[in-house]
Amino acid sequence: MYCTNTAAARRYRARTLFATTAYLLSIWGVTWMFRHRHPQGAAVYLLALAPELPIFAILAIFGIYLADEKDEFIRAVLVQSSLWATCVVLAFTTFWSLLQIYAPAIDLVLKVPMYWVFALWCVSFAVAQPLVQRRYK
Amino acid sequence: MKNRLRVLRAEKNWSQADLAQQLGVSRQSVNAIETGKFDPSLPLAFRLARLFDMTIEQIFIDDDSS
Repeated sequence: MYCTNTAAARRYRARTLFATTAYLLSIWGVTWMFRHRHPQGAAVYLLALAPELPIFAILAIFGIYLADEKDEFIRAVLVQSSLWATCVVLAFTTFWSLLQIYAPAIDLVLKVPMYWVFALWCVSFAVAQPLVQRRYK
Repeated sequence: MKNRLRVLRAEKNWSQADLAQQLGVSRQSVNAIETGKFDPSLPLAFRLARLFDMTIEQIFIDDDSS
């Protein structure tokens, strides 16, 4: 993330680290359950939902950070970066969906699962922050 | 918005980090305001004015007023 050392940024980093660890552990746990326990019925849906909770937490933590951050310039950079990340994700997923329709062979070859969309948003957000900040130099 | 922040800061012999610390913002914020590429909010503009013992109009130049 855009490297700042405000108290709010430190809290944000600590909370995000915790939620990201929870996400990775839940993905590992759910994958293990599906491979070894073969759940059936409603358990399938509940288990598939489990990694969503840390994802919601990560998004909520970002919202709390925006409200918590007293430095208005950093807040502006974060908001603009999140908009850029959203644009990248929307553009890429739309492009990928069109490829699935018009060139379905590519989907068979590359097989990009939809859960990478959130990771794409996070990476785009991280890349956008120094680029947005450069505009103000 | 154009401003005299860099000159005023130099007169006090403060670095951007010094000014940022007194305002309770990041050094990047001070730099962005000084270059005129980021307009501070009214509360931050008032904090700046109090710090330099000036009015907001003496620090920030309103291009539309001329």
